[in-house]
Amino acid sequence: MFGYYVSLAIRSLRGTPVLSALMVAAIAVGVGASMTVLTLNYMMSQNPLAHKDSVLYAVQLDSWDPNEAYQRSSNEMPVQLTYRDATALLRSDIPARQAAMHRYGFTVSSDDFELRPFSGEARITTRQFFALFDVPFLYGGTWDADADSSPVQQVVLSKATNEKLFGGENSVGRSIDLNGEPFTVVGVIDKWNPSPKIYDLNNGPFNEAEELYIPFGLHRKFEIYSWGNTNGWASGDSGEGYEGHLQGESVWIQYWVELQSAEQLENYRDFLTGYIREQKQQGRFQRPLKFALTRPSEWLVLNEVLSDDNRVLGWLSLAFLLVCVVNAVALMLAKFLRKAPEAGVRRALGASRQAVFVQHVIESGCIGVFGGLCGILLALVGLGTIRQLSFGYIDQVATMDWLMMLAAVGLAILASLLAGIYPAWRVSRTNPSLYLKTQ
Amino acid sequence: MLKMHNIRKSYRTDTIETHALRDFSLEVNEGEFVSVTGPSGSGKTTFLNIAGMLETPTGGEYLLDGDNVSHLNDRQRSRLRNEKIGFIFQGFNLIPDLNLFDNIDVPLRYRGFNSKERRRRIEKVLEQVGLSARAKHLPSQLSGGQQQRVAIARALAGEPRFLLADEPTGNLDSLMARQVMELLEFINEWGTTIVMVTHDPDLARRAHRNIQIVDGQVSDLQRAVAAAEAATA
Ligand SMILES: Nc1ncnc2c1ncn2[C@@H]1O[C@H](COP(=O)(O)OP(=O)(O)O)[C@@H](O)[C@H]1O
Ligand SMILES: [Mg+2]
Repeated sequence: MFGYYVSLAIRSLRGTPVLSALMVAAIAVGVGASMTVLTLNYMMSQNPLAHKDSVLYAVQLDSWDPNEAYQRSSNEMPVQLTYRDATALLRSDIPARQAAMHRYGFTVSSDDFELRPFSGEARITTRQFFALFDVPFLYGGTWDADADSSPVQQVVLSKATNEKLFGGENSVGRSIDLNGEPFTVVGVIDKWNPSPKIYDLNNGPFNEAEELYIPFGLHRKFEIYSWGNTNGWASGDSGEGYEGHLQGESVWIQYWVELQSAEQLENYRDFLTGYIREQKQQGRFQRPLKFALTRPSEWLVLNEVLSDDNRVLGWLSLAFLLVCVVNAVALMLAKFLRKAPEAGVRRALGASRQAVFVQHVIESGCIGVFGGLCGILLALVGLGTIRQLSFGYIDQVATMDWLMMLAAVGLAILASLLAGIYPAWRVSRTNPSLYLKTQ
Repeated sequence: MLKMHNIRKSYRTDTIETHALRDFSLEVNEGEFVSVTGPSGSGKTTFLNIAGMLETPTGGEYLLDGDNVSHLNDRQRSRLRNEKIGFIFQGFNLIPDLNLFDNIDVPLRYRGFNSKERRRRIEKVLEQVGLSARAKHLPSQLSGGQQQRVAIARALAGEPRFLLADEPTGNLDSLMARQVMELLEFINEWGTTIVMVTHDPDLARRAHRNIQIVDGQVSDLQRAVAAAEAATA
């Protein structure tokens, strides 16, 4: 019977092409608009570290102002560490892996005269960064262990940067100039672009991953300041100059650890507690003892990657879909009631009310399938437009995966069934004799 | 096979209440060909619709094959209508965007026959009404007489025991009307009980029995005659 109803539905839709097109358009526009917004929201709330969600933790220490709690995060702790605390934590051997890092940038040049110098986004970090975040290497690997604490001019290149500088060939051992200083290439990573950029949500969560990775031991030599957010509460606390900056209370280092067992986690908690107690004795950490180890999934929530505005937009788009559905209800009601005489004949020939109802609901479902497919096209156009307008800023977010396409069709069918139920019910309830009494 | 006792049917609108049928009693036996006449608005169509369970009476009792149908739900009624009753209307009421084959297919679909059985029956009834060559035509491509023959074929395809015809010749010229009447007589000879509403006194006379409905009731005169016949018998 299902096949019969579908063939009747298609025949009926073909019979009134304009009305059918309007109904499909109503559903398609609603689905297209809401899927555009929902896709953005969905992609923004992806967890690129889901596969390591149970072992990775972002580290927060409450080193903030004794008189006032940190206001800009929901757990009232700074989301970054001071340089001083980061280097202290690096000395612990409890975590299986750990990485301290921040954003930076260089002017890149090479011996190749053809290549104009360009500015490259860089990440200053420690050597386990790559293993911790499962960054795949194309050539070579991370730098030597001593490069994390002493000045060693080595660099790991992104795949794109290696292509730009060396035409994509194995460049390990070659040299490039960063801000005029020679750096030796020790590794080239494969294409890697976590979105959102979970390891540093503070500085453009949908930016592309960096082009250069530089060892952590170079701070003093080049007097490196963070290119990302730096937040402070105490002014001029630890003397003058660059050393003062390194020993000061401003926070600018992101810190991640990998703890592979409950025992490791427990030990690390003890370690952090001990560290804060020790610092308290030296006059720092004057707030109540507080720290946090947060998994990637919760880290995304804590940092409000999906803002309230995005959420409101999501609801608005669904409200718009509802308006479209109401329009479709009106159109379907008009169409179904016009065909009520046929339903009357079917009733006289033995169709039950239920059979008439199901037949019409399936017809509206068919409109939903077509509406959904057109809606996907509209959503792709919408996302394409957003990509154009954002100049690549959210390229990775404004794309639809299979799940979202499936969701679009599902949403369309749901919408059209909702739109069809009342009209179908109306036709199935009308008294057939009304249409059979000719004259 | 059909027995109505004191059937009442009234329609209520905001302002008026119309009594379409009042104390309507009638019995039709298996194999009969009954014609129904009466002035326009007297309740003939209402009677047929109640007989075919398209409408429910406001009061009274209706037995079909001895079963009281007033207790049945919509599904059971539709099933019964599908299996036992064929409808023919003055306006033919073919579904315009389905060809003849698919029109006749409609009641068979609801019956749940497989495609082979449906095809067999459709070809058989098309043959009976002499339209085998037109199976793929749309209703609009046929004359009125041909359309009514298709409607009859559609009504017959499920092999109902009871055919209800509401002015089946009302829209046809006299030649076509005669052909349709002959077809109905032929069907009746093969055992199908027929109740036919008509305005044409000639056609009405050709039935086994004529019932006149006046003002929602079987006419008094006929009831008197029936009573007298019963008395003499
Ligand atoms: N659905 C309806 N609503 C209100 N009145 C109706 C309806 N159907 C029929 N009637 C009234 O009931 C009476 C009988 O109608 P009908 O059975 O169609 O008569 P006939 O078929 O003999 O011409 C008429 O007065 C008609 O106006
Ligand atoms: Mg009538």
